[in-house]
Amino acid sequence: MSTKDQPQIIDESGDKYKYGFVTDIDADTAPMGLNAEIIKLISAKKQEPEWLLDWRLKAFEFWQTMTEPTWAKLSYDKIDYQSLYYYSAPKQKVAPKSLDEVDSELLKTYEKLGIPLKEQEALAGVVAVDAVFDSVSVATTYRAKLAEQGVIFCSISEAVREHPDLVKKYLGSVVPYTDNFFACLNSAVFTDGSFVYIPKGVRCPMELSTYFRINAKNTGQFERTLIIAEDDSYVSYLEGCTAPQRDENQLHAAIVEIVVLNNAEVKYSTVQNWYPGDKDGKGGVYNFVTKRAACRGANSKISWTQVETGSAVTWKYPSCVLQGDNSVGEFYSVAITNNHQQADTGTKMIHIGKNTTSKIISKGISAGFSNQTYRGLVRVSPKASGARNYSQCDSLLIGKNCGSHTVPYIENRNKGAVIEHEATTSKISDEQLFYCLQRGISEEDAVSLIVNGFCKEVMQHLPMEFAIEAAKLINISLEGSVG
Amino acid sequence: MNPFFKNNDDFQTPQWAKGLSQEGKAAFLGIGLPTPKTEAWKYTKLRELETDDYEFAPLADKGAMPKEEFPFACAKIDFLNGQWVKTSNLPQGLTIKPLSEAFAQINQIADIQNYPFAALNSAYLEQGVFIEVAANRQIEMPLVLSYHTIPENRNLLENIRNVIILNTGSQLDLVEYYSYTGEVKSRYLVNQVNEITVKENAQLNHYKFQNEAYKANHIALHAVDVETAGTYKSFCLQKGANIARNETKVKLKGLQAKAQVDGAYVMNGWATLDTTTDIEHLFPQTTSSQLIKGVVGGDAKGVFQGKIHIAPNAVQTEGTQLHKALLLSDTAEIDVKPELEIFADDVKCSHGAASGELDEEQLFYMQSRGISREDAKKMLIDAYLEDVFARIENENLRAWFKDLKQNS
Repeated sequence: MSTKDQPQIIDESGDKYKYGFVTDIDADTAPMGLNAEIIKLISAKKQEPEWLLDWRLKAFEFWQTMTEPTWAKLSYDKIDYQSLYYYSAPKQKVAPKSLDEVDSELLKTYEKLGIPLKEQEALAGVVAVDAVFDSVSVATTYRAKLAEQGVIFCSISEAVREHPDLVKKYLGSVVPYTDNFFACLNSAVFTDGSFVYIPKGVRCPMELSTYFRINAKNTGQFERTLIIAEDDSYVSYLEGCTAPQRDENQLHAAIVEIVVLNNAEVKYSTVQNWYPGDKDGKGGVYNFVTKRAACRGANSKISWTQVETGSAVTWKYPSCVLQGDNSVGEFYSVAITNNHQQADTGTKMIHIGKNTTSKIISKGISAGFSNQTYRGLVRVSPKASGARNYSQCDSLLIGKNCGSHTVPYIENRNKGAVIEHEATTSKISDEQLFYCLQRGISEEDAVSLIVNGFCKEVMQHLPMEFAIEAAKLINISLEGSVG
Repeated sequence: MNPFFKNNDDFQTPQWAKGLSQEGKAAFLGIGLPTPKTEAWKYTKLRELETDDYEFAPLADKGAMPKEEFPFACAKIDFLNGQWVKTSNLPQGLTIKPLSEAFAQINQIADIQNYPFAALNSAYLEQGVFIEVAANRQIEMPLVLSYHTIPENRNLLENIRNVIILNTGSQLDLVEYYSYTGEVKSRYLVNQVNEITVKENAQLNHYKFQNEAYKANHIALHAVDVETAGTYKSFCLQKGANIARNETKVKLKGLQAKAQVDGAYVMNGWATLDTTTDIEHLFPQTTSSQLIKGVVGGDAKGVFQGKIHIAPNAVQTEGTQLHKALLLSDTAEIDVKPELEIFADDVKCSHGAASGELDEEQLFYMQSRGISREDAKKMLIDAYLEDVFARIENENLRAWFKDLKQNS
């Protein structure tokens, strides 16, 4: 290929990934590399109490004894953890007291991303947003409104300062720093993320949402989210993410911990749209995420819904630990990979309490040169009598050069448990395509129509606004995969 | 010190096997015994194998081989303590030779670099048979390989290697049968590797019954290459042993090659019974199907790991797999890992796995009609396993297997 063609290709993928722009903003960045000093610096910048710094340092010490896992069906260049920046924050002279004081560049950025940081007057269909830009949370909307009901929604850094007891009690209780390589790294260097506390008996009046943005170059984003749902409470939480289009790979290693107590319910939805790299697999975000919910209370419920379209490499297994009797875990996933993207994703359902039920619906679509793996675990412990699991994993292949893999693990130690797993792999049938073409629908539209139908079971679990965005994303992700 | 190489002074590698043996030993020491961290052995823990010191089976008294009666006419090869002792009733078209006369065929299909027990088997290559079916011969009578162990008080290590070739257009029913005499607590390890080639349009129906002593261990690998329009069908019933693994690796290496890998396991006590399959579709229009069913009681553990791999360009392929298990006790365990690895788009693949217990309502229904609870359970278990047995083509063998399931 001649060099003349090069820019054209970049433009082409630029069209597709409309969030690929960079915000030009002065940043306060920690020196490159990772060592105890950097961790102390992050902790100091966040004005953290001593116990948290100690915890971070313990995690860092443990991390140095760990090796990066290689079991996932992913191949990527070795990550040099010393050539990354672990802290980058947009410079602000004084901390903003209200939304009006937030840097206008930042507000513009979020506006461009379609995330309103201005609180609207009308209350119908509003969503409270916590916006995280590189290493810090820049704004959280509707806090006062939420506080009226006792709901705490703020950045985790603020929570550490203002609600230290809650943070101390729950941080690391679902995902301990010893859990895995990336979770351990996150525990040592996590910078920001959201904190949600729903008090007893409260049904959160609006959807809560966090929007993550990586902006700075060579910067890893390590956010940490902690959600606590007290007895009889309910919250629906949304998460979205984007990053600029860069030739280098960016690292994102996050942790989400959710604690669900008696009769409480948490619904967690993600639309993951990190920059996926260009057509030839150059650049893109490495996404290594540990998400886990502990259903500690009786009759508690957690529901994960994810639409994964971005990232060059995805390593993500949102899990449910069903400790409380009659607790329920659900996992609905649509993962789409195109070009050279790789995704190794799935879930874990750990049945511990009696009569716990779980449901897994996973839809994977691979196109181009991409590879995708569903990897899941269903474990029923000896005490979980009456446990019930149903899993369904369907894969759709578009094109000859992609791969789709299914690796479920099923471990049953209770005779009263009923476990069912089904998986199928197929391609879009010629008959379906022909039917659409015959009715004057273009091939590309036909594919997106069929794919949307294939994913419907999952999409209907997304909150309204998200569902529309996600459906659009699916079409964009598959552009250029046929013909 | 590796337990498998501790007492090997008595072992004399025959001249023809020296090179293979060295290769095998180097490979085995390189990989080592699988640990729970070894993905391919995640659920079958081998720690107990390590604590034993093994002795090599000395040439046993041929007269000690019991006369095993099979309820059907068959050709037969007897093995005693891993040694080939007798051949009877050989039909026309079947060639049987000692391995020493066919050693160039060894390790052509089995991959000793990735299968530690195949490497160990190579390290102690001594005896085994080479079986060849002449082109276009349909052998009517089943060929039975009867392996008998008389362990007395020793931890015998038996390494058995067979090379089986079905030439173009030929057909054979092969039955492998394992038995022992002596204490039920006898400990020994049978480590077997079969290297099988099914050529164009040929068909091998491979049956196996494993009923080792309950403290014995049994590890078998069947490495199978199936060429254009060839068919490999297998059925394995496992009942005995402390740790047993029956691993089948089939490569469909030609257009329209077919594989059917079935199995059943019925277990109690402390056993771990492992059924592992790996079907590689390397060519277009290849098909495979797997049905494995298990009944697990006591403190036993059933393991199923099944893989369907579809290579790029292996289009218009079909692969199906179903594993079902019934748990009879609160301490029984079942671990399943069905895996699909697909690199081509025009394929139809599916797998299913289910586990559960006997239906109380069905039991109640039968009890209310005067059938005892025990009998009702037996009937339900039989019914549960019926569909796997129904897939055995040869009627005599089907009846024989049903009988073995019940009575031995």
